[in-house]
Amino acid sequence: MSKVDMAVIKPEMMKSYIWLQTADGSIQQVEQEVAMFCPMICHEVIQKGMGSSKNYAISLPQRVNPAMLSLILDYCRFHQVPGRSNKERKSFDEKFIRMDTKRLCELTSAADSLQLKPLVDLTSRALARIIEGKSPEEIREIFHLPDDLTEEEKLEPLKNTTDDPRIRLLNRLYAKKRKELKERQKLKNIEVEEERVDDRSVDDLLSFINGDNGVLIDGFTDEIALLLERIVKFSSVVFASHVSFSTSMPKYLLFPCSHLGEVREFCFADSKGIKNSKSKKKNRRRKDQQKNTSANEAIKNHNKEPNGLNQVCHSAEVGQKVRAGVGATSNLHDVKDDIFDNKNELDDGDIDDEIDPALKEKIDREVEDFARRLNSDWPERMQEILSFGHERKPVHFSLNGNGSLRRYANSEQR
Amino acid sequence: MEITKVLPDDCISLIISLTSPRDACRMALLSHAFNSIADSNAVWQMFLPLDYIHIISNSSSPPSLLSLPKKDLYFTLCYHPVLTHNGDMKFQLEKESGKKWYMVGARALSIQWVDTPRHWTWISLPDSRFCRVAKLKNVGRLEIKGKVKLNTLSSNTNYEAYFVFKLVRDRYGFRHTPVELDVSIEGTAAGEMRSVILDPPRNMPQQAKERVDGWLEIEMGEFFNGFENDRTVEFSLREDHDDQPKRGLIVQGIELRPKHKNNR
Repeated sequence: MSKVDMAVIKPEMMKSYIWLQTADGSIQQVEQEVAMFCPMICHEVIQKGMGSSKNYAISLPQRVNPAMLSLILDYCRFHQVPGRSNKERKSFDEKFIRMDTKRLCELTSAADSLQLKPLVDLTSRALARIIEGKSPEEIREIFHLPDDLTEEEKLEPLKNTTDDPRIRLLNRLYAKKRKELKERQKLKNIEVEEERVDDRSVDDLLSFINGDNGVLIDGFTDEIALLLERIVKFSSVVFASHVSFSTSMPKYLLFPCSHLGEVREFCFADSKGIKNSKSKKKNRRRKDQQKNTSANEAIKNHNKEPNGLNQVCHSAEVGQKVRAGVGATSNLHDVKDDIFDNKNELDDGDIDDEIDPALKEKIDREVEDFARRLNSDWPERMQEILSFGHERKPVHFSLNGNGSLRRYANSEQR
Repeated sequence: MEITKVLPDDCISLIISLTSPRDACRMALLSHAFNSIADSNAVWQMFLPLDYIHIISNSSSPPSLLSLPKKDLYFTLCYHPVLTHNGDMKFQLEKESGKKWYMVGARALSIQWVDTPRHWTWISLPDSRFCRVAKLKNVGRLEIKGKVKLNTLSSNTNYEAYFVFKLVRDRYGFRHTPVELDVSIEGTAAGEMRSVILDPPRNMPQQAKERVDGWLEIEMGEFFNGFENDRTVEFSLREDHDDQPKRGLIVQGIELRPKHKNNR
């Protein structure tokens, strides 16, 4: 408000005062221009017409005690003068915040309740400078904080930092999908029985593998194997073993466990171009497929629709000696979701040979980029994996056509 | 006085956001109250670059990245670089400070004769995040230039520029002849030009350093990105004095790294 405005409001006084009351009951009057520097007080005066006399004193928030009010008013008194240079203001500020930590906190709180943002920023910065670089024990001492986290809770952040953030991302997406599917399932009564069966077999899987590295699953379709092989060709991170194109031999494909979720998301991601062209066939066959393949995970190949037995790789064996210990349980949630998820989108094998070359090229590039991503953080992943140190025996499983598990001995090879 | 009883949560968030990501992680271990505040989006959003949404939306990463909690997003961007600018640049965050860390890929550099198959060829290497890197077949005169708009980078930051490359077994021209490296902000005086040998013989000191990803890097220079950053910074690598044939250099790009403060 300019001096002219103020004069209009109170023409009979040269200097106007605002009446303020703190929570302890004491009332004081303050020069108008100083008090109005605080947005909260300004609001009370203009919007509610308060503060013009002792009886109508503005009640300040509880966080503002007389000592803090005095400090705040000193600050306002200095800064509300328009003619000061930046250098002067900075110099004032530096001297102003020299007080003990306790007062700084109270001052921040009081300034915050009066919405005096410049002062809040100033004191917050001062407090930030006090705590930065200090250890938790030191900070607890400064702020009198209770050490009330359990050991487990304290360790929890550490675990998160070794988890692959992409797996956590996928977990969240799957959690969302789970919710959606639960909604959908409520509407469909037919599949309920079969789904429960699936639940159980996946639960078995969960309990066996809990804390372990993951599974090997066999029986890829040729199309999937082709796609995954191309990833292998590009990526030095991904190890392929026992891949065979002969349809009579089962195929295994191995991936490092840490990238499992990533591989799955990549392979199963919806490719819009493909989806549109397949939508007609999809709708026709959906109901048949749901019953037959309830236990299988469908794999949406970018190029072609899956044919026959559809299964998914969950492997985790990385070489012979290195074990990826992280993220096993998260992978299993993925298993569960994918089974439900892909059920509805399974399409039976009308292989489309007319692949749009532009689309094919796009897919090629995606495959390459994907493999590069795997490669680029491989050295760090290796370090994490090696630092785990424990040797764990890999447990090999296979999902049969009916969804039950077959457990292989460690050394069994095909 | 316990601070959480004196200060409201959003004041504490503000204070934590004025420290550093590392401090914020430590503060999550202080107490129950601090645990939830220190991990909150209010704090971690402040550590992300101001235009992070724009960067991610125009990058190779899935848009679902944006629905992550901000702390997870921060670390995802630290550990998993994304491709931006149409696949021409690689972006990540510098973990300690949250500053932007870019690599300009070979495709986005001006390499003389790069499109002439006789001189250079584009190849695909699995250990590069970029689709293509440039491989030198034969030139007499080597000139590689690049430029970046300063407003792409974090302001009020010191950056170091590194030339990221490899040398294949069958190479020549880099053993005894130095190349000249230069970094300067357009419109200002030229920075100090450096003269380095990319492929020194074994008994000479190796100026290039090996990176974690298996490539080599050599520092080209430094610059400070102030607040008025509507200019561009220019880099160049040149060898144009001796006209001797050169071969066998693979260029991944030029990396712009926020300079590490050594006081932590």
